[in-house]
Parts: sequence; C-alpha cells; structure tokens
Amino acid sequence: MIENRPWLTFISHSVLILGIIAVALPIWVAIVASTHPAEAFGQGSVPLWFGNYATETWQTVLFSAAGNGVDVPVWQMMFNSLVMALGIAFGKIVISLISAYAIVFFRFPFRSLCFWLIFMTLMLPVEVRILPTYEVVAKLNLLNSYTGLALPLIASATATFLFRQAFMAMPGELVEAARMDGAGPIRFFFDILLPLTRTNIAALFVILFIYGWNQYLWPLLITTDDAYYTLVMSIKRMVSVADGAIEWNSIMATTILAMLPPVAVVIGMQKIFVKGLVDSEK
Amino acid sequence: MAAVVLNKVGKKYPNGFHAIPSIDLDIKDGEFIVLVGPSGCGKSTLLRMVAGLETISDGELSINGTRMNEREPAERDIAMVFQSYALYPHMSVAGNMGYGLKNRGVDKEVIEQKVNDVAAMLDLSHLLDRKPKQLSGGQRQRVAMGRAMVRDPQVFLFDEPLSNLDAKLRVQMRVEIRQLQRKLGTTTLYVTHDQVEAMTLADRLVVLNQGHAEQVGSPLDLYERPATPFVAAFIGSPAMNLFSAHLQQNKLILGQNESIMLECDHSFEGQVVWGIRPEHLEVTETEGDFKMRVKAVESLGAETLIYGAIEGVNEEVVLRLSGPHQPEINSNIELNAPQDKWHLFDANTQQRL
Repeated sequence: MIENRPWLTFISHSVLILGIIAVALPIWVAIVASTHPAEAFGQGSVPLWFGNYATETWQTVLFSAAGNGVDVPVWQMMFNSLVMALGIAFGKIVISLISAYAIVFFRFPFRSLCFWLIFMTLMLPVEVRILPTYEVVAKLNLLNSYTGLALPLIASATATFLFRQAFMAMPGELVEAARMDGAGPIRFFFDILLPLTRTNIAALFVILFIYGWNQYLWPLLITTDDAYYTLVMSIKRMVSVADGAIEWNSIMATTILAMLPPVAVVIGMQKIFVKGLVDSEK
Repeated sequence: MAAVVLNKVGKKYPNGFHAIPSIDLDIKDGEFIVLVGPSGCGKSTLLRMVAGLETISDGELSINGTRMNEREPAERDIAMVFQSYALYPHMSVAGNMGYGLKNRGVDKEVIEQKVNDVAAMLDLSHLLDRKPKQLSGGQRQRVAMGRAMVRDPQVFLFDEPLSNLDAKLRVQMRVEIRQLQRKLGTTTLYVTHDQVEAMTLADRLVVLNQGHAEQVGSPLDLYERPATPFVAAFIGSPAMNLFSAHLQQNKLILGQNESIMLECDHSFEGQVVWGIRPEHLEVTETEGDFKMRVKAVESLGAETLIYGAIEGVNEEVVLRLSGPHQPEINSNIELNAPQDKWHLFDANTQQRL
C-alpha cells in the first residue's frame, strides 16, 4: 500500500492479527491441553493457560505405547509416516520427471495418447480406485509394508503435467546447444534439465510431502499390523475409543507431533524455494 | 579447417512445404560465407541443416569430403552460436565453455587450459566464475563465441548472433567476429537479415529468396552487378531505385505516356526493370535526365537522403548526397542518371541484361 493513512494501517493490521488468531488459537489450545490431565478437557471449559501435567503427558506420548488400542510408540508411527510421505514424494517426482521427459523430448508413436492417458488419471484419485487398488496390493502381498503404503500413490498426473509445462518452457536453442555440445539424452537430463527444474522440484516436493503425510484412508485400509500404523490415522484411532475417557492430553500432544514434520518441510524448503525464485535463471 | 560442400541440398517438410528446393554451394577452406535474405527465405533452415538440427531431405552435405547427412550434430565437428546465445544458465562461464569438451571426455586440465586460452583471447578471463545472468549482452555474446571456439571445430555456424545487441555493440562485435575468424582461419557460415552485416563480414555472400540462392558472390560483386532485381533491392542501403520501363530502339522509356526517354546503347527490346542506386544519381543545375519533386529529407550529417517522386511518372525515388543539404519540400531537383551506373533486368526472366 502506497497510501499512508493511520486508520487504514489500523484496519489492515487488525485483519492480519485476527487471521493469525484464527489460525493459531487451535494450535495454542492443543499445546495447552497437552499440559493438563485428561479429564480437564472433558469438563466443559477449555483451558487457555498451561497446566502442570506437561511432563507426564509428554513422557507417556514420547516413550510408551500410544494406547487406546495402538500398541506402538508415537516415534514408530512418526517414522512410518515419514517413510510413506518421503516415499510418495520422491517416487512421484522421479516417475513424473521421467514420464514428462519422455513426452516432451522424444518422438515416439502414440506420444500424445500416452500423455492424455496419464492426464486422465487425474480423474482417478485413490478414493475412486481404492477397492481394485487394494486387491492388487493384497495379491502382491504388499499389505502391511512400506512399499504397499507408498507405491500405489506414486503415479501422479499432476506432477507429470507440471514437469511437462516446465520442460516445454525450456528454450529450444538451449536444447539444441546441448545437442551440439554432444550431450546425449542422459547427460542432457542430468546436466541441463534437472538443474533448471530444481525450483519446480522443490515446490512440488513440499506439496507432495504434505499430501503423503496427510494420507488417511489408504494406510487405514492396508495396515492391520500396528508396526506400520501412520501417525495421522492413529490419531483417529486414539479418539474413537470404545469405553473410558478419551485421553485428550495425549491426543493433543500427538497432534502437535504430527504437525511438526510438514511445518519443518515447509519452513526448510521455503528458503530453497525463495532462493530459487530470486535466482530464476530461465 | 574444412571445405563444406552442399550438393543439391533441399528441405521438404512433412506437410509438403518445400522450404528449400535445391541449393548448391561450394565453401572453400577458411572462407567466411554469409547467408542473407528476408525472414522466411530459408536461411536459418539451411544453416540448421548444416548443423544437423534439421534433417536434409534431398542432396548431400559434406564437410572435408565426408558425407554428413546422417551424422548427429555433435559428430560433425562444428560449433554453433545461437541468436539467443543459449548459454546454460546454471553453469559458470567456464562451465559453459568447457561443457562440450567435458562431454567428449577431455581431461580436466586440458579443458581448463583451453578455456583459459580462449577466455584470454576474448577478454573474458576475469568473468570465468560468473553466471550468464550476471553478464551484459555483449559479454554473453562473447561467451557464446568462446563456447564455439574452445572446441576448435572445423566449421563455425552463426545464427543471427548480433540481433540481440544494441547498435553500437553490434558494430563492435561485427569487427571482432571478423578479426577472430581471420585469425583462426575457420570456415564460417553466418546467417543474417542485416545487409550491412552481410556486406562487411562476408568473403562471399549468398542471397536467398524463398529457398533459392538468387546470387552468390563477393559483397562488391553483388553491389556492382546484382543478378536480379531482388538482389539489387536487397543489397545496399537505402535500397536501389527500381522502375519498370520499356526498352525500344535504343531508348529507355519510363512511364505510360512516354514522358521520359533516355538514350540507351543496349540492343534488348521489351519490358525491363531499370535500376539506379540513390548514390549514383547526380544533381545538375542544367536540365537533366528527369526531375524529382522533393517530398522528405533525412539529414544524417555525413550524408543526406532525399525522398521524392519523378515528375511525370509518379514513381518513388531516393537520392543520396554526401554532406548536408537542405532542399525545399516540393521543390524540383534536376537529376542525371549516368548510363554506366544503370542496372537493367529483363522484366520477364528477372535476369540481368
């Protein structure tokens, strides 16, 4: 804003502060709730300041089994989630890079048919094809495995499409210069294409990591062994306990833990992302 | 160093468009050849066919006696400088220049040595660690040339390399390219649409028009004896004055009502295109061959361009005089057209008479 009017500054700041409160309040409540005993949350009033039960809650959450029917500790689930999210993110990026490379730079029969087939899978997310996918995974004996968690989610039309656009924006003379310099397909891919699309890759990684981390339905369906439970799905399992009090304090602590890796990725990648944007060389 | 021979080379696109019907060109070792023509004349296509970036549909291309039609660009031992420079944005200047050698498996020390030598020659030594975007247009141009020179290829190909530079740099780089080419003695093919560039750089010029080589020759040859009206109009700035006229009984007749008749010792009879360059028209105080009515004057200091129409014929004409002149608009100037400066072309065959 170029104008300098006090009331305008006041209003815009108020809006921003309100927005921050709206976003931050639930997180604050979650942090606070993890410092109270389990019953505090069920008494009708939401505590807004720290209690004195923090050490106990966090000790339980971090070092013993999660409880409520989940027999593995939180760190194990966190590891599972991480393996799945990273597997999905890297798998999607690698597959999409290769398929986009083939579609953009090579002339082969049915090239555009291939592209449109890939594109059509946009209409078939996991939720739509979940039963046949389950059957395939089951027949391949991939239930209760990291491969089973990540592999069926790896094919990605969105990422392929994004890389296709990025590759097509590559100046033709640059490709030709590389050809004259004797760079074959593999060299061109690693020496020219990858370095020039690294900002796209970084941006996509952030999105895909969060997508993988937040997967709920798929892990719920194919994992029956506690050792492969992911964090996000087990939070739900911890809430839906049949009898007895819900341990809100542990759940809130787990939720906060579940939030940390995506936040770390966003914050960590943001630097590269912004640097990539500033350094934009294409 | 190599001779490049194009033998009936043609380009036909899959959609049936004949971009280049057939071109014969014999380029001697170390020669600087400029392909020049208006946009869409096929000059870039021809260059890209020599480079191997376009397939050759007909004929044969050979470099140093070896058929090149089926070879990959990298196997032809040629280097190309692109219009947009096409520098790898993520590599340093040294990386850009050495990339081709690296791909050929040359030792690191040898690459470094060669890059340093070429950088010194092009005055780039202090920029070797920079990225292309940290360079000015002229420096990028130099890096693109350095990248071509490092490989020490048989043939240099230039695709309108100066068109992204400002006017002053363009002149400077033009001189530099010429000097470097003389020094290295590398056979060079250079594409441009700028006839000044073409005239100043070339050992021989190839004027292309719709895929045909209209004329091949030295710059002065083309200036003094253009083979067709197209070449006549294309070479020289401002362009040659061309009029449709009639030759009859040793008289050149301009205009429908035969208002202008000039003596001519040519025996040809029939429709002709008559041309005379703006700098060859002579102003005379007495009655000249024809009168020109002044419409516009461009004073450039060293020379003056006067635009006008020939009285009685209503044809546009340009006159070029050295030094400053200030004729009145709408005044008449008497002009002589000395016959030894005439260019006559058969109107039907478009060939020089």
